Amino acid sequence: MNGLEADTRVLQPLLKVEAVSKSFGGIQALYNVSFEVAAGHIYAVIGPNGAGKTTLFNVITGIYTPEEGGVFYEQQPIRGRSVHQLVRRGIARTFQNVELFDSMTVLENVLVGQHVRTRCGFWGAICRWPWVKREEQHAQQKAVELLKFVGLEDVGGHRSADLPFGWQRFLEIARALAAEPHLLLLDEPASGLNAVETEQLAALLQQIRARGVTLLLVEHDMSLTMGISDKILVLNQGKKLAEGTPREIQADDAVIDAYLGRE
Amino acid sequence: MQELLQYFFSGITNGAIYAIIALGFSMLYNATGLINFAQGEFVMLGALGLITFWRGLELPLPVAFVATVAGVSLVGLVLERLAIRSVRKPHPIVLIIITVGASILLRGVGMLQWGKDAHSAPSFSRLSSFELAGATLLPQTLWILGSLLLIVLGLQFFYKKTLTGKAMQACAISKRAASLLGIPSERMVLLAFALSSAMGGVGGILIAPITMSSYDMGTMLGLKGFCAAMLGGLGSSWGSIVGGLLLGILEAFGVGFVSSSLRDAIAFILLLLILYVRPTGILGAKAVQRF
Amino acid sequence: MRGLENRNSHMKYALFSLSIVLTGWWVSNPYYLQLLTFIGIYTVLALGLNMLMGYAGQISLGHAAFYGIGAYTTAIATVHWNWPPWLGLLLALGLTAVIAFLIALPMLKLTGYYLGMGTLGFGMIFYILFREWTGFTGGTSGLVGIPPLSIGALTLDTGSGYFYLVWGIVVVCFVICERIVNSRVGRALRAIHDSERAAAAMGVDTSRLKVWVFVLSAVFASLAGFLYAHLVTFISPDSFDFIVSIRIVTMVVIGGMASIWGSLLGASVLTFLPDWLHVFSDYEMVVYGLILMVVMIFLPQGFTRGMLDIYERARSRYSRPSTSPQG
Repeated sequence: MNGLEADTRVLQPLLKVEAVSKSFGGIQALYNVSFEVAAGHIYAVIGPNGAGKTTLFNVITGIYTPEEGGVFYEQQPIRGRSVHQLVRRGIARTFQNVELFDSMTVLENVLVGQHVRTRCGFWGAICRWPWVKREEQHAQQKAVELLKFVGLEDVGGHRSADLPFGWQRFLEIARALAAEPHLLLLDEPASGLNAVETEQLAALLQQIRARGVTLLLVEHDMSLTMGISDKILVLNQGKKLAEGTPREIQADDAVIDAYLGRE
Repeated sequence: MQELLQYFFSGITNGAIYAIIALGFSMLYNATGLINFAQGEFVMLGALGLITFWRGLELPLPVAFVATVAGVSLVGLVLERLAIRSVRKPHPIVLIIITVGASILLRGVGMLQWGKDAHSAPSFSRLSSFELAGATLLPQTLWILGSLLLIVLGLQFFYKKTLTGKAMQACAISKRAASLLGIPSERMVLLAFALSSAMGGVGGILIAPITMSSYDMGTMLGLKGFCAAMLGGLGSSWGSIVGGLLLGILEAFGVGFVSSSLRDAIAFILLLLILYVRPTGILGAKAVQRF
Repeated sequence: MRGLENRNSHMKYALFSLSIVLTGWWVSNPYYLQLLTFIGIYTVLALGLNMLMGYAGQISLGHAAFYGIGAYTTAIATVHWNWPPWLGLLLALGLTAVIAFLIALPMLKLTGYYLGMGTLGFGMIFYILFREWTGFTGGTSGLVGIPPLSIGALTLDTGSGYFYLVWGIVVVCFVICERIVNSRVGRALRAIHDSERAAAAMGVDTSRLKVWVFVLSAVFASLAGFLYAHLVTFISPDSFDFIVSIRIVTMVVIGGMASIWGSLLGASVLTFLPDWLHVFSDYEMVVYGLILMVVMIFLPQGFTRGMLDIYERARSRYSRPSTSPQG
């Protein structure tokens, strides 16, 4: 499935960021940024350090509230929603510095990812009703499948903290997928990965898209974003510098001046 | 009216002590972001140390004062060096348990050293108490208020005029940036521990003549000092003073008009209220870090 | 795999129950029987706090308050109002749950140092309440004449009867905790402990969950208080003061954070220690203080847990995963 088909199939964007501004004590981190992410796309936000990528990320996940403008997910504003409510509605994320649950096993990490898709509470846990057992069994199966999907099925019983860094990134993606998101936000997924792992990541992201998940990634690594993205947004000093397909971005004069550099 | 004034006097007396303890909390918090649950035990060591040096060893008061303060800050230094600095995971929960452990340890040592009985010290000066508008004013109150004033002036001088004081504030703002500028942040933490424990010790010395001192007095005083610091806004020197005096006065009026059994509860109810309602304190504009 | 685990856990509890029965049958000295009964009560206390501290990573320095609420509620209900003790139990647990809930709502918005101070202050307020509310609690002289427990016609005032009751409850509490820990909520709790930010990003409603685990932990303490009150038939405020809160924390620290069976160890050590060291009462605080500091400095996960971690790490060094992702 390529980007064009997805565009014609879905009329409404999955995520719409509308004229968002956010400042921190006089420093304008984001200024009047707007863009739309179509369902089924891989959408990348790039820009140099301090361009406002992380702030944008935190605005979309509901951690920061923008001063102006708004973010709409599936046509609904996210303002006023708590982080966990947004997860329930289908937005999952990973962290720039990988935040796994270190005291738990790899498998348990993915099980926590399914939190919003399961419902056993204190009483259910204590009484262990038949439905709780079924739910748990189902969750375990699904966790194993997800680990297989990212290629970590052999280390399910290890502590997540003991994994090499690159594997931790893949585990974090599996954990986020466990929440069955419609929109998966990835914060610099390639940082800290070696060349082979970056290639594996690119393949994995395309497989995830093939499962019908829309991806929004904030990224530094040019080769990754240029290779897999349907659309790219370039941020510079909190402002939108350019938006377009990888080819358009590569040809954009302003972007070349500010970021890519002339050869 | 006369009664009101009497309560007021007793309120500012205790309040000034709470303020001094609160200043210790605030100073350490400013420099390290840490809250020392053993702060109250430094007060206990100050009070009982003074009684030992002054009454027991019959040293002259100024010598006993210096010896006690030096001793207490030494304990603070040792605590930082041996316990706080060796922590591998500086999570708040770990540091809380360590300082709570230190507090219990000091309390236990205090009990072994001074026994379970309460001790008392005479007033610093032999002047008899004088009357002011019909209310009695103890000379010790003047000593306490005077000391508070001296400490405040000293701190202002330290923070505003000395290089070390400025360096300590820089460390508080950003440890990394400070160390990049060549400020030895480890030494600053050590110094902050020494100073804040010394302040606890001074609080203890001043309170010794107006109360019965025993090994278990620290927890209560520590909590009240913390309450005062929170009231005024943790990290703010002026806030600590206002918070301390306010707490002292509220307590005195509570005891006077409601019941003396309420005395200790007032501070805690106030503390819980302030934690819930306005964790930045009444003066503090700075957002309190809630983690 | 899962079935095997279950069978293992059944075996574990069967063995545990068997050893309880054997101990009760073998120990005839009433003094030791009572000591063992106390261990059971402390285990329930430590287990409850461990759920809060070890699993969810939230500290409470005022847990003796809930222990006291349990004890005083049942004492007041049975002594003043002549209620049957089991009704007293229901009242104690219910009241504790309500109080804990009301406290936890605002309190657990606080974290770290503020939570520590908040719970410490809260513990103090209840200690003062027990001491000063003389009409109800008997003040410093305490409440006497709390009736012993009975089941039907069977009065549990002999050492072994109470011993079996307490340890039966301990087993039930163990099962409850183990089931919670290995469930969806338990994993969410551990997630909060490891990284509250990531837990929220996984859709865990962290503040709600923290409130519930606080309530659970308080109810365990209240249950322990109930058992204590009907065992010693006399209670006074000093059994619920600050040092008692610290003792519970110390049990958890010795037993290890996030270690269910460690609670048993922590409770045993802190019950036997005073018995073995006769001078202990003088050194009690020094010993607690040293334990807390040393363990937290060197093994921040607590003693047993820390030891287990070292062992596991040493073992896994030899069996490090060697396949490649995506391979």
